[in-house]
Amino acid sequence: MNSSVSHRQKRNLREWLCRDSVAGVICTMPFIIGLVFFLIVPMLLSGYYAFCDYNILAPAKWAGLKNFARMFTADTKFFKSLEVTLFYAFVSVPLRLTFALAVAMILLRNSRLTGIYRAAYYLPSIIGGSVAVAILWKRMFAIDGTFNAVLGMLGIESRTAWLGNVSTAIWMLILLSVWQFGSSMLIFLSSLKQIPQTLYEAARVDGAIGIQQFFRITLPLLTPTIFFNLVMQMINGFLAFSQSYIITQGKPMNSTLFYVVHMYQQGFEFFKAGYASALAWIMLLIIGAFTGFLFLTKRYWVYEGGA
Amino acid sequence: MKKASVFFSLLLVMCLMCTAVMAETHLNVAWWGNQVRNDSTQAVLDLYTKETGTTFDVTMNSFGDYWTTLATASAGGQLPDVLQHSTAYIQQYVDNNLLLDLTPYVESGALDTANIGENILDLGRMNGGLYGLCVGTNSMACLYNKTLLKEAGIEIHDLMTMDEFMAVCREVYEKTGYKTDLGYGTESFFNYVTRGLGKPLFVDGKLGIGQEEAEYFYGLYEKAVQEGWLLGGDVFASLVAGSVEQNPMVYGSSPETMSWCAFNWSNQLKAMQAAAPEGVELALTTLPSPDPVKSGFVACSMYFSIAASTANPDESVRFLNYFVNSVEANKILLAERGIPVSSVVGEAIAGDLDPLTQTVVAFVNNVVVPNSSETPKPDPDGASEIFALSRELVEQISYGALSAKDAAKTLIDTANDVFSR
Repeated sequence: MNSSVSHRQKRNLREWLCRDSVAGVICTMPFIIGLVFFLIVPMLLSGYYAFCDYNILAPAKWAGLKNFARMFTADTKFFKSLEVTLFYAFVSVPLRLTFALAVAMILLRNSRLTGIYRAAYYLPSIIGGSVAVAILWKRMFAIDGTFNAVLGMLGIESRTAWLGNVSTAIWMLILLSVWQFGSSMLIFLSSLKQIPQTLYEAARVDGAIGIQQFFRITLPLLTPTIFFNLVMQMINGFLAFSQSYIITQGKPMNSTLFYVVHMYQQGFEFFKAGYASALAWIMLLIIGAFTGFLFLTKRYWVYEGGA
Repeated sequence: MKKASVFFSLLLVMCLMCTAVMAETHLNVAWWGNQVRNDSTQAVLDLYTKETGTTFDVTMNSFGDYWTTLATASAGGQLPDVLQHSTAYIQQYVDNNLLLDLTPYVESGALDTANIGENILDLGRMNGGLYGLCVGTNSMACLYNKTLLKEAGIEIHDLMTMDEFMAVCREVYEKTGYKTDLGYGTESFFNYVTRGLGKPLFVDGKLGIGQEEAEYFYGLYEKAVQEGWLLGGDVFASLVAGSVEQNPMVYGSSPETMSWCAFNWSNQLKAMQAAAPEGVELALTTLPSPDPVKSGFVACSMYFSIAASTANPDESVRFLNYFVNSVEANKILLAERGIPVSSVVGEAIAGDLDPLTQTVVAFVNNVVVPNSSETPKPDPDGASEIFALSRELVEQISYGALSAKDAAKTLIDTANDVFSR
């Protein structure tokens, strides 16, 4: 009798485990644990620290809105870094997307080398974010760097320190970002392929030439993809860190000081973790507001299918 | 039932194994440094393990990452038992009660300081206790390209005043085209100059200088920009900050991007010489100052401290004692952390040092020690912010975007804000 009870228990356990809801939770556990412990808990903690004086070494002390007040009254770099970040995001993202779309259009044509081209153009996206390329960039645009040497060979004498000049440094970072167009390009490429050929045929019959086809058919049908790329890349643009941190460290004269670099300096160089947390939450609000704005305006310019 | 018994016996075995490991003393040691230091320190730890059975877990990092790691560890109450410390941060750790006062161990004799000068022990005394034992001394130095000066026929001497030094900079620029890295980003140069004016940079955790001293300091850069020999932000923008290999004294392809000298710590001479191009011989002299003797000081290149949270204070002290006083250990370390503080150890290893290190030791002992003043106190909390600001101000002056007067005013205003928080 004993054994039959335990047998039944076992069966019940198995049934319980095999229920969709239970099995699902168990299988997603690794993700849920990661989400809770590495994202939710730290976020809640940083939300608390944002209202504290916290230097990591000593326990956090409640300070109310002090950190936020400091941001808007005493920290001149807050506005400077915000300005730099917005400029970077609003210039580099549209440039990158335009470039990605142009290259995708070219690669759409089938030739025997298409596969190689696609791989080659995707390569910068993989290596472009790396520290090695960042350091390479730094050397390439130095006074005695490759770029000036090439200009010299072309007969243009240049002694510009591209990364050391206030008006050019940010453009070097934008260039690096535009160069990493590969992932957007692949997404464009796949949606370009999904545009039915019949539309183009119909347009040709109606007498639409190439440029008209692009603006009347290709672009409208791509708007969902453009929207997706825009949202993702903008968020990435706001959060840009490594290029500035490794290549310029915000120099010269804070002209490349990205918001996240400023935050990092406050948190891990001056050990003002409370203030850095407050900065992080403001960034979250800005990104949230901006993404919300994109979604609100979506219906005015994104083609959602149908009539 | 059977499964359960197997499980519990396994658990029991594991617990026993854990206690066996616990019984053997185990210390966590952390330091920042380079490959040479990592190798030699590890060799000393291995030797100590062989002699005493104490085992080690080590954490080694670059200077920047070290402090991030340490701060995070302290937040979790997990500071290493024995940790290398710096004048830049030790005050903050002491203020937050994170370090162990070593005074009782010195009194009991567990930490033998008989051969260590009282002035050197004083460098680790803060808030009424001994919180760091200085393990090596060095001094600020102006490292320079001796070959270049020789070829140009320019002579310099130790203890140059600011005016003499700036005349040399002009002459070097006119004759060779080489510019001068006037302590760009070298934090300690600021204090070095203001000491020469009779005002230390920090006094009692506050800014010790006024508009006049700050203006003098930034005026040096302003003048250098006007005369054209300052190596400024445009060159440094494409170099890796703090890297010996990319220091403009040894790195660059044309004189206009290079410097004839570098302001650094005396013990960096060896690393810098290793990075120098073939045929370039480096040497060292004192930093320029309005009054070199008032400015000069023997510095504690680094401390070893023990965490207040350590579970093994006695064993940590025993190891520290060994590290500082053992001749055998220091024959492996070879004064890489600065000149050994124990006079007995210093004499015992003198013959084992390579010629460059001997030059540095002779420089500190014969030039700096007789011509120096009191060593500055460790930097107060907030100093890193002041130094970061000062670097930015110098950068702006180097672009001609800021006057020395405005820079000085910005510094004073910001410092008042930082230290009033």
